[in-house]
Amino acid sequence: MSSGTLALLCTHAPLVGCFGALVVLRRAPRAAAALNILAMLASLGAALAIFAGSNHQPPTIISLWLSSEGVPISFGFLLDGTNQLMGIIVALIALCIQVYSLGYMKGDPGYARYFGLHGLFAWAMLSFVYSANLLQAFVFWELVGLASFLLIGFWFEKPSAAAAAKKAFVMTRIGDVGMFIGLILLLSSTSTLDIAQLMQASTLASIPDARLTLIALLLFCGVVGKSAQFPLHTWLPDAMEGPTPVSALLHSATMVAAGVFLYARFHPLFVAAEGVSNIVLVIAIITAILAATIAMVQRDMKRVLAYSSISQLAFMLLGLGAGSLYAGVFHLTTHAFFKALLFLCAGAYIHQIGSNDMVTMGRQGAAKLRLVSAGLVIGAAALAGLPPLAGFFSKESILAALHGAHANAFVYGAYLASFLTAYYTFRMVFLVLRPSDKSVLPAEEHEPHPHGDVTGSMKLPIAILTVGAAAAGFAGDFIAKLIGAKALHPTYGEMAPAIGIALAGVIVAFFEFGRKDAAQQGFITRVGALDTLFERKYYLDEIYDKVAGGLVSLIASVSAVVERGVLDGTGDLAGNLTIATGDATARMQSGRLQLYIGSAVLLIVVFCYFVGGY
Amino acid sequence: MTLSHFLLVALALFALGLYSVLTRRHLIGLLIGVELMLNAASINFLAFDRFVVKDPATGQIIVLFIIGLAAAEAAIALSIILSAYRAHRSADVDDLDELKN
Repeated sequence: MSSGTLALLCTHAPLVGCFGALVVLRRAPRAAAALNILAMLASLGAALAIFAGSNHQPPTIISLWLSSEGVPISFGFLLDGTNQLMGIIVALIALCIQVYSLGYMKGDPGYARYFGLHGLFAWAMLSFVYSANLLQAFVFWELVGLASFLLIGFWFEKPSAAAAAKKAFVMTRIGDVGMFIGLILLLSSTSTLDIAQLMQASTLASIPDARLTLIALLLFCGVVGKSAQFPLHTWLPDAMEGPTPVSALLHSATMVAAGVFLYARFHPLFVAAEGVSNIVLVIAIITAILAATIAMVQRDMKRVLAYSSISQLAFMLLGLGAGSLYAGVFHLTTHAFFKALLFLCAGAYIHQIGSNDMVTMGRQGAAKLRLVSAGLVIGAAALAGLPPLAGFFSKESILAALHGAHANAFVYGAYLASFLTAYYTFRMVFLVLRPSDKSVLPAEEHEPHPHGDVTGSMKLPIAILTVGAAAAGFAGDFIAKLIGAKALHPTYGEMAPAIGIALAGVIVAFFEFGRKDAAQQGFITRVGALDTLFERKYYLDEIYDKVAGGLVSLIASVSAVVERGVLDGTGDLAGNLTIATGDATARMQSGRLQLYIGSAVLLIVVFCYFVGGY
Repeated sequence: MTLSHFLLVALALFALGLYSVLTRRHLIGLLIGVELMLNAASINFLAFDRFVVKDPATGQIIVLFIIGLAAAEAAIALSIILSAYRAHRSADVDDLDELKN
């Protein structure tokens, strides 16, 4: 098969699954699930086949969609290394998670709908990844947002889930508006939206500097929204209202990585734009530390992982912002594996024990789930950046990229964030796996409601992803070759502090949470003010509420004045004027017949005088 | 006897008719005034027919029409006046002002 056919198969097979599950097989949930998993298998096969055959294939397949004033807008597939890599990751993780969902979602009344929406997401995401045109990419970018909205709100009968879905949709939309304006500016400056063409140095050189910076910043708005960076990050933790496999697929491994992927896709543009990389670095470092500190004090396992996703996405942007395409994409790849793994482990505990609370999990014997616990430890070690697991290598390359060219503040910030990462990750591990009798943490208010045992279909993806999380770190040189960027090999001098810092985080977590008879109280609780600040997520939700609420009431009161004064006034004026005119003209109807005749005659005379010319 | 003599007579007649239409209070008076104005118009037609137009038939035909019309108009107007009088017990135009304002 030609690569065009393969790309079409890869992107559109899930759409068939989606249609089948949502329209045809609503009453046959098992068939719907089977259809979607088959479709995902076909997608993964096609993605791998594209990769295998990429040496003798044209990298872009384009067909004209429409042409307006000499500007062609085409749809097509861009099959270069970055896209191939991302396509394989998305298809693989999506497949794993769909298989996992077979067990996790068992007995849910919306089983068929769930798999249909997964198909919708996979279609949108894969089409986005392989897009050859920025407008096409934007269309699918929005469809990814839609799929995310539907999946977060999957249990829409829960008001909190419905609210979270709305919040995610609106917050990402704020970023998307910026991105769309950037897209229009880009189109007006270069008369093309073809990604391959846009990334050529000559095209980028033809845009004036100031405008290029503006475009880069606007595109970065989209990245900030989609990848949940400060200040638009608050939607992601709330998105944990969706089913856990959804969180694993969308809100950690693939969909939120779409923002980072877009940045990687437009890396030449961001590098060419003056001063943008510093803004990116500042936002990324703020996000990384902010999210990590919040994760330190959460008790809900999914929320810890959500904040860790935000923090890790910020790490990817740190790597990309430091100018290394390799570091960002590499961390994106490894993160997809270990974060999906961690979420699936969390899902397994939630399924078995029936609570999101880590303390409850520990006390109910989460450690008895051997395979899941092994996965959790390996995933956590990978996230913390312990050698030789996946996260270690990618985080090292990010730190190396930061060392290379940038101010020390960023490097120290990144060190702080990786210390916090190791700390909160192992806090989670110890809370779940080593419950302490002397723990001062109070029990949860609700009784846990177990859903059932962890099935084989849930264990298999965990096993696969465990292997991935352990081994993906060795793929660095391969990834560098695939995306055509220079691999970064940090020196031992650079590695040592990073390893030391990660180990320090683990050790502090061990003393506070993992030791026998540990009090399970973090050092941060000694500083009450900070503890509350982190607990309340820096009060950002409250601030946004106040600002947005205040803005809305301001607009509303202005509108009210305008309506009462201007709009109602105009209406009243028209009415009153009509009545007054009527009154005035009614006086002329005197009822004196002879007056009428007289004025008629007078008029005729005057008329004749003028018309007749006398 | 030239054209202008006839026209002057017709003018005087028309002016008298108009005057009575504008000043009479009684409906019958108004009707008489209208009749006078119609006759003034007839005289005009006949005068122009006699002095200006070469073919004398046209004006005479029109005048015959006017006479027929006047007769019909008088019949209708009288019946209207009669019913107005029955309704209002009066034939004064100033009393018939129900539609004013």
